[in-house]
Amino acid sequence: MPDQYLPPRRDQPDLDEILTQVGRKWRDFKPGSLWVLLVIAALILLWSCWFTVQPEETGIVQRFGKVVRTATPGLHFKWPLGIEKVVLVPTARVLKEEFGFRTTATPVGQRTQYSANQAYKGESLMLSGDLNVIDVQWIIQYRIEGPIRYLFQVRDTRKTIRDITEAVMRRVVGNRIGSDVLTVGRVAISKEAKEEIQKILDSYEAGVRLITVELQDVTPPDTVKPAFNEVNEARQDRERTINQAQEQANREIPKARGVALQSVRNAEGYALERVNQANGETNRFQAILAQYRSAPEVTRQRLYLEAMSGFLPEVKGIYIVDSAQKALVPWLQVESGAKVSVEGRQP
Amino acid sequence: MRTTARGIIIFIVVAAAILISGAIYTLEEGQQAVIVQFGRPVGDTVTEAGLHFKLPFVQEVRRFEKRLLVWDGDPNQIPTKGREFIWVDTTARWRIVDARKFLESVATEAGAQSRLNDIIDSVVRDQVSSSELIELVRSSSWQAPEEQAMEEVTQEREEELKKEITRGREEITRTILAEARKIIPQYGIELVDVRIKRLDYVESVREKVYARMISERKRIAAQFRSEGEGRSAEILGDMEKELRQIRSTAYRQVQEIQGKADAEATRVYGEVFNRDPEFYAFLRTLELYKDGTNKNSVLILTTDSDFYRYLKQTNPGGGKHGPAKALATGDLGQ
Repeated sequence: MPDQYLPPRRDQPDLDEILTQVGRKWRDFKPGSLWVLLVIAALILLWSCWFTVQPEETGIVQRFGKVVRTATPGLHFKWPLGIEKVVLVPTARVLKEEFGFRTTATPVGQRTQYSANQAYKGESLMLSGDLNVIDVQWIIQYRIEGPIRYLFQVRDTRKTIRDITEAVMRRVVGNRIGSDVLTVGRVAISKEAKEEIQKILDSYEAGVRLITVELQDVTPPDTVKPAFNEVNEARQDRERTINQAQEQANREIPKARGVALQSVRNAEGYALERVNQANGETNRFQAILAQYRSAPEVTRQRLYLEAMSGFLPEVKGIYIVDSAQKALVPWLQVESGAKVSVEGRQP
Repeated sequence: MRTTARGIIIFIVVAAAILISGAIYTLEEGQQAVIVQFGRPVGDTVTEAGLHFKLPFVQEVRRFEKRLLVWDGDPNQIPTKGREFIWVDTTARWRIVDARKFLESVATEAGAQSRLNDIIDSVVRDQVSSSELIELVRSSSWQAPEEQAMEEVTQEREEELKKEITRGREEITRTILAEARKIIPQYGIELVDVRIKRLDYVESVREKVYARMISERKRIAAQFRSEGEGRSAEILGDMEKELRQIRSTAYRQVQEIQGKADAEATRVYGEVFNRDPEFYAFLRTLELYKDGTNKNSVLILTTDSDFYRYLKQTNPGGGKHGPAKALATGDLGQ
């Protein structure tokens, strides 16, 4: 869990407290209790002779202002009376800086609350390479690697880290087009930024090791957001329209293929039928013809009469007209709708 | 007597204490000191932290930072070469390298800050005003985005995106640093780094940029939609073409198959019926009559028709081929 920045803690006895204590003792014991006073003074001296270093901290011991040693976590002794003093630096803790937003509260077991105040927009709004404005929120995490350098090489190291991070992030984002930053470029951006920030901080000997640079929300500015969404919608629309057309094509073409095949098969059926019929009819004819040739005259008459006897009983009426009669219609009321068969020459 | 002796001892002790406290001083890590004697710096700058000695009363200690210091300028509104007004917020890092000179020329950090303000602001102004905005935003490693990324970019912007970056932000900041450094050493200051922290459109320009971005997006959205409709029409057109192809091919095949079959049938008929066309015609005519009549039909026979002739003639062997001829040649009505 990365922590917010903590200023180095100074492990010094509170002077005011000691003075009031001494004053109280003086009143209580009066000159007669000088020994008691001496004992108390010795105790106070002794008390300022040790200090503890927490597990995540490193103690820097300065004697008359000069760094003489560092102290690992645990109990340590030092010279009293301001001869030696200790500065505790949280070296093992992962520190975090936020840009464009602030974490306001992290209640245990609940959702973390963020404040994306307009006041932080100044940090997050930047120009992309295509001169569009883009809202980039990001964090960095770092550890104090060299506490001595951290304290004594750079004054206000935290501000330096923030300034450099902002400058680098803007340069990196400015070197890409906006849509790239919004989508695929995120990982590359944080990697590039991290390397560059680290390089600059190393050149300052800030004693800081960057752990990560992470882009958080990367969005177009609020005013432009709806327009960006519209582009996304339009892209979806495009796909949808294409899919619909494709759907229709997929629905109709296979069916048309089937129907086409059907008509071809039908034709093939027709062909088979036609040829078979022809063969059948001709075979029949051939058979009859063979017999006919043996007795043509009789067969011909027989066939003629058979046919006549076949259809004569079915007709409604028979008219026998003299062949010299020219105009038949004037005197014969041929019923409308009745089929007229004329045998012999056309009257 | 004893009391005066005691008084003298106490006086000596106190005087010694004052003397010693005036003669020693401590220097914190990260600090440097200049010893000043009656207002004039003497000796070398003390840079080593720890306990040091000096002459009491006549010498005093001036402590200065040895660490890297922050200079943070006010954001400035500066027009670029292309006449766009932008906010430029620069930050710099500096340190006191020559404490004595520093003491003589600017005396305090506040003094140094104000000198730095003058110098850096003016250099930044010069550099920004003589640079195009894209040079300030992009770096020398700028590469025009690939075609795929250009999908959302309009034509004119594409031209601009492909412009070569001659200087880029790093080069401009390097120049700013170099220019500012030329003036600064006389103050005992080393300017370590200058960086453009923020670069932003001024409010009125920003609104216009937003409006431009919105209109750009709308254009792209319209293009996408139109592309969709275009592709859709294309697909439907392709579909129509394919449908017609399928149908017409099928029609052609049908015609060919049927034609072939008809031809075959015709050939067979022709070949066989040709053996006795006259008999075929006779047979077909009979069939026609058989199929063509029904209950409502009326048969009109002329007296010279074959059928009637058979009825009339007692000797049917009169004309050998007469009846057949009559049937074959007689026109079949209407």
